[in-house]
Amino acid sequence: MKKLELTGDEVRRILLWVIPALIVGILLSLLIPKPVVGVIRLNDAIYASTAKDLISQITYARDNPDIRAVALILDSPGGTVVDTEAVYMELARLRQTKPVVTWVSGMAASGAFYLASGTDYIVAVPSSEVGNVGVIGYLPPSPIVLEDTISTGPYKLWGSPRDTSLREIEMIKQGFFQAVTLGRGSRLKIGPEVLLRGQIWPAGEALRLGLIDQLGSETEAFDKAAALAHLWHYQAVDLYSPAIYTPYPSALGFFLQTKDGLKLPYPSEPGTYMLYIPTLPIQQK
Amino acid sequence: MNRKFFWMALAALVLPILVRLIWLFPGFTFPRTIAIPDYANLKMPVAPITTPQVEAIKQQGGIVLVDYAHSNQFLPNEIQTLTDALNQRGAQVDFDSDSTTLASRLKSASAYVVISPSTAFTSEEISLVQDFVGRGGRLSVFTDATRGQIFYDFQGNPVGNTPDVNAANPLVEPFGITFNADYLYNLVENEGNFRNVYFQSFGKSDLTWGLSKVALYGTHSVETDTGLALLVGGDKTLSSATDATPGTDPKKGWAAAVLSKDGNVFAAGDFTFLMPPYNTVGDNSALINNIADFLLSSQRKVILSDFPYIFNGTTVDVLPTSKVQMSAEITGSLSKLQTSLASTNIDLKVVKDAPISGNVIVLGTFSPSDDLTKFVEPFNLKLDDLSEFVEIPQFGKLGRSGNGLLLLNRSEQVTTLVLLADTQDDVTTLLDTLSSGDLTGCLLQEDVGVCSIGFGGSFSVGGTSTPSLGGSMTPEATPIQKETPVTATPGG
Repeated sequence: MKKLELTGDEVRRILLWVIPALIVGILLSLLIPKPVVGVIRLNDAIYASTAKDLISQITYARDNPDIRAVALILDSPGGTVVDTEAVYMELARLRQTKPVVTWVSGMAASGAFYLASGTDYIVAVPSSEVGNVGVIGYLPPSPIVLEDTISTGPYKLWGSPRDTSLREIEMIKQGFFQAVTLGRGSRLKIGPEVLLRGQIWPAGEALRLGLIDQLGSETEAFDKAAALAHLWHYQAVDLYSPAIYTPYPSALGFFLQTKDGLKLPYPSEPGTYMLYIPTLPIQQK
Repeated sequence: MNRKFFWMALAALVLPILVRLIWLFPGFTFPRTIAIPDYANLKMPVAPITTPQVEAIKQQGGIVLVDYAHSNQFLPNEIQTLTDALNQRGAQVDFDSDSTTLASRLKSASAYVVISPSTAFTSEEISLVQDFVGRGGRLSVFTDATRGQIFYDFQGNPVGNTPDVNAANPLVEPFGITFNADYLYNLVENEGNFRNVYFQSFGKSDLTWGLSKVALYGTHSVETDTGLALLVGGDKTLSSATDATPGTDPKKGWAAAVLSKDGNVFAAGDFTFLMPPYNTVGDNSALINNIADFLLSSQRKVILSDFPYIFNGTTVDVLPTSKVQMSAEITGSLSKLQTSLASTNIDLKVVKDAPISGNVIVLGTFSPSDDLTKFVEPFNLKLDDLSEFVEIPQFGKLGRSGNGLLLLNRSEQVTTLVLLADTQDDVTTLLDTLSSGDLTGCLLQEDVGVCSIGFGGSFSVGGTSTPSLGGSMTPEATPIQKETPVTATPGG
């Protein structure tokens, strides 16, 4: 076997050629971005302002090639139907190219569970609350004619007949149910008779019922998102700052507030909601 | 040589890039299709079309008394469909907003309707209603799961709920019926919402005649041990109290309406179905019509205590028998009676012969006469001029003096009220007592009543009517003061 023997000059010349190239190579390799698991957080109800923020972040994640997967961190009781559906549909577009994993940090109720069911995988903290599938709404008043208010049709002032509003809510519920069944597929172990009761379950029970996939931590959710994107190594990046350029606080809070500042669990405006309203101390006498 | 160093340098350049590329391999992604709900084809549930009513409406008449004295959680216009159905059948619907008048108002009623009461019925009221139903009157009690009273704290938070069943149950429990403080729901098949429940299983009754599908809107469940379940939910209809069907048999459904064992008490856990647009869903309108027929088909036995509501029609003939003269006192008393009966839309007419149909008040004395005999015969009354007593099975021997006798005989054709007293003056006093419309001072036993009319004979004062149940009501101890009939003179 021929023994490789280098002279001192040869070694010097190799170092002269290779070291700079290696340094340049290392420097160039650093330009290769580390794949990102984008993190989108929702710690509020879903309404116009929060939905706008969510959609901005989802759009940013979809358009940014460095973001290979998204983790949706939820702690929300849900919110308005239109805003929930708007975010849900944006999530569906994002999932066409990038996997999305939900981590339920406290609550994914009603509209928030609607969003969660529209992701690829759901991880939840064991004591978090999940479910509350359904819709609530407030019927419009019965139409009347006012002396000093002129309108051009019987429902111009009232929107729709009370009975129609009730049936609309049922139609929206069908959409919610379809979203859950499409999203969970064969993983869902309960039928409409149980699911549509509107019950909210602790995550452990939700796992048994097939509403979620795993009990776990935030980093486990990130890992799962990375795994679904076939990433070996990644960095988790909160997308709020890069996606929301001009953050502004909501002029009107979502929840009703009393004059002394107490926040009630009811929305501040009438409407149709996918919202979980916590149990109130109503007792039958 | 330089070529070799070039390749080595190139490898040194590329290697870190390759290593990092492999290290951070982002994988391959292929666009996939994500299914979302078919929003465009979601449809609002539609209510089933009303089954046309083909049965001719029968004119039944009668008065239906609707309770409005117990903070009832409804507005009269909310039951307009029921009142319309009753009016179409010739009935009159009265609202009773004063519980103190219940006793007198039930006298004229063929049915009593209670809807979503909030305040409790007194034991006296319950007793009155039981007596009313016991004599064949119809009772219909509607509650509603959406009409309980909710109490709020100072911040507007609901802190308590009192369902209407609390006030309704004491009224229906004597008839073996109980409303549950729940609501029924069905998540699988419903009328637009889970709390709007279809009922397609019916107990056999006139109330469910012609029904195939009824929808109720937020109904309590109703239970009966002895009666008949009329509207029974399917195995998917659950109670909010248990989230289950009743008992252990899943095929046994919850009832939302029941009929008592005697067939006189109808109890329903909902009345929203009476309101537009829900009254036209499925067979709801047929159910409303059946309820109207039920309320007006009362077979209530009319007794003397129901006076003045013992007559049918608008005219009552007055027939003085041969022992009673149409004196000024009698005429005066009759005019008072006419005024009294006018409040019930009844006119008086003096006749010479007994009518073959309608209503008649027969005036007579305890002295037997041929024209009186046929009227007192049904009562086995023994009249004898030689006796100091009148014998009647319900009371035994009755002193003639100071007592007036009321005999009510209702046949299909004629309602006959016989007024008997010892003397013409006593008859006058008895008429005055009758004119007052209040027979509570008389001893009444269904169709026979005895009224104390003072001391009898010449001591009685025409126009006074203060009946009292004094010593004269003890037949054996009644002082005897036998007089011959006196024809009073005008002004006397």
